[in-house]
This record gives sequence, C-alpha cells and structure tokens, in this order.
Amino acid sequence: MLSSSENMKKISSEDVSKEVHRFWAILSGNLADKLEEMYSPSAIVFTGKAKRSESAKLMAARRSRHRPGPGLSSRAEVGSIDVQIVGPDVAIAAYTYSFNTQKILGNGGKVQINTSFGRATQIFQRAEDGALRIVHEHLSAAAPPAMEKAGE
Amino acid sequence: MSNIPSDDVRAEVKKFWDFLSRKLKSQFAEMYVSSASVFAADARRMEPARLMLVRRERELLGPASFVATKLGSIDVQALGADLAIASYPFHLSITRTRANGKRYQSEVPHGRATQVFQRDEKGVLRIIHEHMSSAEPVSTKELPATDPPKRV
Repeated sequence: MLSSSENMKKISSEDVSKEVHRFWAILSGNLADKLEEMYSPSAIVFTGKAKRSESAKLMAARRSRHRPGPGLSSRAEVGSIDVQIVGPDVAIAAYTYSFNTQKILGNGGKVQINTSFGRATQIFQRAEDGALRIVHEHLSAAAPPAMEKAGE
Repeated sequence: MSNIPSDDVRAEVKKFWDFLSRKLKSQFAEMYVSSASVFAADARRMEPARLMLVRRERELLGPASFVATKLGSIDVQALGADLAIASYPFHLSITRTRANGKRYQSEVPHGRATQVFQRDEKGVLRIIHEHMSSAEPVSTKELPATDPPKRV
C-alpha cells in the first residue's frame, strides 16, 4: 500500500516509459497483468482500423480475447519514447513501434500480421491510488499491416 | 480550479480547421506552442510542429492548394484547469502542391484526430501534441497541371 505522499509523487519520464513497455509486454503475451487495469475507467482510444474512438474498456476486453494463445507468438519493438510531462499528474508518451503477431483464421490456417510503421500516443494520468493509467490512446500505422501465411 | 469547458476546446478545434481551409497562415501557426510534437497522417515518425508547419504551408496553404473538412462529433477529456484532449473523426478533401510543383488531390474519408490543448500564460488554448491518422488507406491522384483546385 502506498502512502499518500507516494501517491502524490510527480510523474517522471522513467515511470511513463516503464508503463509503455509494460503495455506492450501484456499485449505480446509476455506479461500476465490485465490490460484493462492500464486504463482509466473513462479512457478513450483510437485503434487499428476503427473509424471512431471507443471506450478503452471495450477495446481492452477485445484485445484480451485476442491475446496470443498456445502456439501463437507476438513480438513488439518500441522505438525511442518521447515523454512530455504536461502537469503534476499528466504525461504524454509518443513513439513509433513495430508489432508482429500471429492469428488463427476461421479455416484453421495461421497468419502472421506485421505492423512495421506503428505510431502511438498514450496520455497517462496518475490516479488516486498512485498508479499511472492511460486516459487517452491513439494507435495508427503509416502503412497498412502486411499479412502473410505463417507455418502450420 | 475548474476544468476547461468542453465547448471552449470544441471552438478551438473548429478554429483550427477554419484557419487551415481559409489559408490563414499566421493564425494557423499560432495554434501550436513552439515545442509541440505532431504525428502527421502520412508520416512514419513524429516531428516538431515547426517542421510540419513549414511543409503544410508549402503544400496546403499556397494559392493552388485547397482544403475542405467535415468534422464528426468532438470528444473532450478535460484533465484539469489548463489541459484537455480533443478527439474526433473527420472527412478531409485536399489538393496539395508538392515541392516539385506537381499537384495531388487526396480524399481522407475516415480521418481521426487527437489534439492535446494546454492554456498558455495568456490563457490561450494551444496545441502541445497532435496525432492525425486515417482508418483506411488514403486515395491520392495526380492532377493535370491545368486543373484548378477542386471545390466540394
């Protein structure tokens, strides 16, 4: 349990970078933490090919269902993270990333999806319990993801 | 102190697109703080707003260029008295002039924007971070040299 003074500590770039890496470790299936817990309950996100923003709660539940299962692998590489501290409890993380993941199709075939030019903006706010949570996220790609058949 | 009113942020977003479509260069540039960072819709990397402004001025604010936008519903997340996030979908039609003099017409039917506004010392809301993207690949065609800018 954190004391109230620890709860109120200012955000540092290191704290934010750590959370960004935790986010991708969860998404890649390398960390069993719950993705939902990274978001504020009122967070809004733009992801993938979605034409509109949506509640992070819905998106996190969907992403959790699609996390790599047995026999599937995912790998994320995060570029240099630019952190802007914009208040005592708010920071903007902006960076590029690549994300390679495998999926099973309806016909049982396995495909590899490679997002080579991903771009991310994640805005973090320190919550009352002291945790940094994402209040807004915008993930996009400068080029459409490439899809290829993966091994059986 | 109370949060930034959502309507103030929506008014700034509308001003932003109005300045761009009316080619009001200095007013458009004033929307950004000098240290602002930007993910342009078609860029692989983030860049300082001052570089993006030079490019937008050359490509979008010249006499042979044209910009028209239809904005969707603007979500505002206030993060205190001085900070707010605007996120919204948009439809963009642009005719741009490249450095080589060639003109291109692009349709972005499913654009997505995140703009983070912060009040400066004079109380003016200005953009400190921007992330633009398209949910679908952008269709672009080269225009014959004699075509006037397309009006929609």
